[in-house]
Amino acid sequence: MPAPIIRLENVWKVYQLGKIELPVLKGISLDIAPGAFVVILGPSGSGKSTMLNMVGCLDLPTKGKVFLDNQDISKMSEDELAQARGKKIGFIFQQFNLLQNLSALENVMIPMVFQGKSEKERQDRAKSLLISIGLGDRITHRPSELSGGEQQRIAIARSLSNNPEIIVADEPTGNLDSTTGKNIMEILINLHKNEGKTIIVVTHDPAIAGYSNQIVHIKDGQLVANHFAREKVLWSNNK
Amino acid sequence: MWKEYLKIAIKNLRTRQLRSWLTIFGIVIGVFLIMSLLSLSQGLKSTVLQQLKAVGTDIVMIMPGNISDIMTTMMGGVELTEEDLNVIRKTPGVEVVIPNVYKGEVVKYQEQSKLAILAGMDFKNALSVYTEDLGMKIEEGRWPTPEKREVIVGSLVSTDIFPGLKINTQTTIKGKQFEIVGILKSMGSKQDDSMIAMDLEIYRSITGERKGAPQAIAKIALGYSVDQVSKKIKANLEEQAKRRAGQQGESSYSVLTSDAMSGIVGSIMGIIQVVVFVFGGIAVAVGGIGIMNTMYTSVRERTKEIGILKAVGAKNSTIVLIFLMESGIIGLVGGLGGMIPGLGLARLIQAVGQVHPVFYIEASITPGIVLFGLLFSFGVGCLSGFFPARSASKLKPVEALRYE
Repeated sequence: MPAPIIRLENVWKVYQLGKIELPVLKGISLDIAPGAFVVILGPSGSGKSTMLNMVGCLDLPTKGKVFLDNQDISKMSEDELAQARGKKIGFIFQQFNLLQNLSALENVMIPMVFQGKSEKERQDRAKSLLISIGLGDRITHRPSELSGGEQQRIAIARSLSNNPEIIVADEPTGNLDSTTGKNIMEILINLHKNEGKTIIVVTHDPAIAGYSNQIVHIKDGQLVANHFAREKVLWSNNK
Repeated sequence: MWKEYLKIAIKNLRTRQLRSWLTIFGIVIGVFLIMSLLSLSQGLKSTVLQQLKAVGTDIVMIMPGNISDIMTTMMGGVELTEEDLNVIRKTPGVEVVIPNVYKGEVVKYQEQSKLAILAGMDFKNALSVYTEDLGMKIEEGRWPTPEKREVIVGSLVSTDIFPGLKINTQTTIKGKQFEIVGILKSMGSKQDDSMIAMDLEIYRSITGERKGAPQAIAKIALGYSVDQVSKKIKANLEEQAKRRAGQQGESSYSVLTSDAMSGIVGSIMGIIQVVVFVFGGIAVAVGGIGIMNTMYTSVRERTKEIGILKAVGAKNSTIVLIFLMESGIIGLVGGLGGMIPGLGLARLIQAVGQVHPVFYIEASITPGIVLFGLLFSFGVGCLSGFFPARSASKLKPVEALRYE
């Protein structure tokens, strides 16, 4: 197994609510290999989104360590971390999180601005990404003029703009009907298969788990199962 | 990169148009005040100083009373007596003394009667002082002959007071006929340009003011130190006053060289400008608080957006820059919007002042003032945007993304 692209080492996240300490993650350790398709499953309130924030380097653990490409993210400055996120990780959110006053094209171009790409490079890349996901005729539209599925596809194009190794998706189909949701998952699977992206999806929908080759169950802030699809087969055979 | 951030900033301002314009308006008012008042006071200063500069450096002005309570002296009607004038004349180094006498009188020209400033001038002894040291030049005609009933008039008399006034015509002053023999070139001050001047002796006989003068002008002879002679004049005058008044206490005199006068005018104008600037500055500061308020509101509203930007790789400094650009634009647009009507008003006041002979004021509109106004308003914008921008940049990406 190659060196993990993301590694969580005994990660704790404790929120302070007044005088009460609320541990959301309790000592989670997880390795994500490059090129993996990982699904994090768990009921709501289990801490899966918090865990995804750690994986996506959006938040720092209270205790324990997170490594991105073998670098301890708690040792990086905020700006270095922002730079690393922009370059190596693409985000897809349940709420799409597009900038409402920018057009589809501008939304896709934004992450490239922060990486210092030239105007022409940004334009060309953003256009070809939007065309590849079938939104070539929507590039000047604002998010409010588009359907949920279209918005999520723009978000996918945005997450790909800097050609990151990792795509992190937090309930990407949560706000979509099942057909549209399936389309979105297919795009993600293609990215995994054809471009070898490492994809990490958080969901509470077990149907999505079927797409993946590594499933992580989380409950009450702890990993209850981390199994690879292949092993699962083996395991069930033994039973 | 800058261009991109600027685009984002402008887009943000445009999505909140009404609020942006209201905030800009707050700055407009402040800059409008500063620009109009500053350009007028600057203009006033340069006009007055320019007039003083036309006065030769070997000229001193003598007036009764202390310069620090000049209003008391003028209101109290204290004048130099004929004795005082003689003391000045006898002071070594004084070449010639001119009593500065003037009075408002009704003057009749053809069928019109108007109030004008009547002045007595010593053409016999001091014509060269008027022409060379006080900057009076003939526009048309000639100087009056001493002891004859002839007058010379200021440039505004022939244009504003009696439009169409010609030389070699008659005017009636205090029931006496005078011939107008000359018109002076403009000296740049409303008062000087509105006067009707006649021989000193005739002035005294028709007004009945036989002796003394509110002020006098002395020319210092070549080879003498202006400072020393003016000190000597002051000492002589005070000694004479003491001798005359005895127990009545001291009476003081002011002897001003043209340098001293420029200094006094300069410092008074300086104070006026500081006051103007402080008041305008307060108005701009209020506008700046408006910017700060708007920006803080904006940071709250856009918390989620900031979270998104940070998630996709925006550094803290980038967030600061975008917000600073927004507040800077508000400041700059406000500055521009305040400057145009502000300088316009100053020009208007100048134009009104030229038509109506109440006061003569020039609006000084220099590139310096324009640049200052723009930089100042931009600076206020950036300064008031700084704290909101910093608080935006310090938001944690996760918390900002969760914000609804």
